[in-house]
Amino acid sequence: MDLSTIWDLFVTGVLRGGLYALMAGGLALLFGVMNICNFAHGELFIIGSYVAYFAHVTFGLNPLLAILVAAAGSFVAGILIEKTFFSTLRKTSKGEWVMNAFLVTLGVSVVFQNGAQLIWGVKYRGITQYWGGTVQITPRMAIAADRAVAFLISIGAIVLFWLFMRRTQIGRAIRAVSQNERGAMLVGIDLNMIHTLTFALGSMLAGLGGASLLSLVPAYPFAGVKPNIRSWFVVTVVGLGNVGGSIVGGFIVGLLESFAYYFLGQGWQDVASLVMLILLLLFKPSGLFGSEVKGVLER
Amino acid sequence: MLQVNNLQAGYGNLQVLWDVSLDVSKGEFVALIGPNGAGKTSTLRTIAGLVRPSNGEVAFLGKPIDGLPAHQISRLGISFVTEELDLFESMSVRENLLLGAYTIHDKSKKQESLDRVLQLFPRLEEREKQLAGTLSGGERKMLAIGRGLMSDPRLLLVDEPSLGLAPKLVLSAYEALLELHRRGVTILLVEQNVNTTLHIVDRGYVMEQGRIVLQGTSEELLANAYLQETYMGTDVSPV
Repeated sequence: MDLSTIWDLFVTGVLRGGLYALMAGGLALLFGVMNICNFAHGELFIIGSYVAYFAHVTFGLNPLLAILVAAAGSFVAGILIEKTFFSTLRKTSKGEWVMNAFLVTLGVSVVFQNGAQLIWGVKYRGITQYWGGTVQITPRMAIAADRAVAFLISIGAIVLFWLFMRRTQIGRAIRAVSQNERGAMLVGIDLNMIHTLTFALGSMLAGLGGASLLSLVPAYPFAGVKPNIRSWFVVTVVGLGNVGGSIVGGFIVGLLESFAYYFLGQGWQDVASLVMLILLLLFKPSGLFGSEVKGVLER
Repeated sequence: MLQVNNLQAGYGNLQVLWDVSLDVSKGEFVALIGPNGAGKTSTLRTIAGLVRPSNGEVAFLGKPIDGLPAHQISRLGISFVTEELDLFESMSVRENLLLGAYTIHDKSKKQESLDRVLQLFPRLEEREKQLAGTLSGGERKMLAIGRGLMSDPRLLLVDEPSLGLAPKLVLSAYEALLELHRRGVTILLVEQNVNTTLHIVDRGYVMEQGRIVLQGTSEELLANAYLQETYMGTDVSPV
């Protein structure tokens, strides 16, 4: 075991972590602002995969454009889902919101999976590569260009999202809603609008993940299960509803898996991360970054 | 400016406001006083749109606003500083203030508002980068009032600014309100502290058990035998 092996594992872990961060960040956003435990997060990922597939393969758009179209598509899908289900539910469900919203996301997930099966069939719609070629990371290690670009897209999206939340008036309003809904209403913030926008943003982040990884995870009705569990895993590890923590947590889990894969063997990476989750839940149930989450972007 | 006619409202099956009528004219400083649980806070909440009235009407600048959602009422120019303050605890003082001007899109106007508020509460300027959750009780009130003023409201509703403050800070809270009044802000103030309140406002309404039981100018109310007996004790001299 030498230094360069560690470096290779590190790079693999970070690449993996970029996607986890993107997915988990969106998931944490939905919980932090809207109190939605979104178990349809994997389906939002898959919406991105499908849109990217059709845009790239069927309509022949270039990869970058296809991914952008997929992001926009997921954003719109998020608006539709929020307006159809959650905005309606919000009017009728006051006390049992968290449970009801959670059940609705399960429903959305089941309907999507079966709907996709009905419309597009149980067929893998993937591509072998967007760009092709490899990028030399270390003298011994080269990674697929797709992988590298997907990582850069994740990081770019996370940075843009962060700036949006911190620097713009509307981003500030989203954080305000997560901290004090009544205060937000009283300064003139339209809660319905913020909720819809938040869901659309979370959906877009997930869809961006699905679209940029199309060559690794093909579009398939049930392909969302794994990304969903993974995102939930990260969010549980860091503590629910903390976007910043989830982004860091994404990288922690990515690294953990990559090292476990090497040291324990293939298939054991899940065991390692689940053992960590169980230990955390036993000894620090509030998650790695504590329980005092006061807002979606701050701890 | 603000007219409330025969307002009835409550929470679920519990009615707490019975036929409440009051009005506030432009530039006035009016107080709504009464004991705990009289319905003062509920009246403000109903005006601000946080509680839906079951009957009666609220008009602002001649237009009905009852039933409108709170954010729309805020956009019409009514700022509500609640008893709980409802600050954004994990955001800086500056961010809280900027959110107060959420409805103002003109950048120079926003800056003007910020300058005006910071000049009124220099303390907030010193704490600009600090998180709202780390401020002292007095500073939190200043921030809540400051945030309420950022939108340059036509009417300011203030709920018990003296609550939980040390006596010295109570006076400075009142002074801040008086200063606002001098600058032409119309204020409807809710207070339990009858005596002090009546010395700074123009007019008052007295609420008991969800109804307005007395109203008049400050002088009239201060001279009222019932009020003196029930709220002030007859031999208390004004501050």
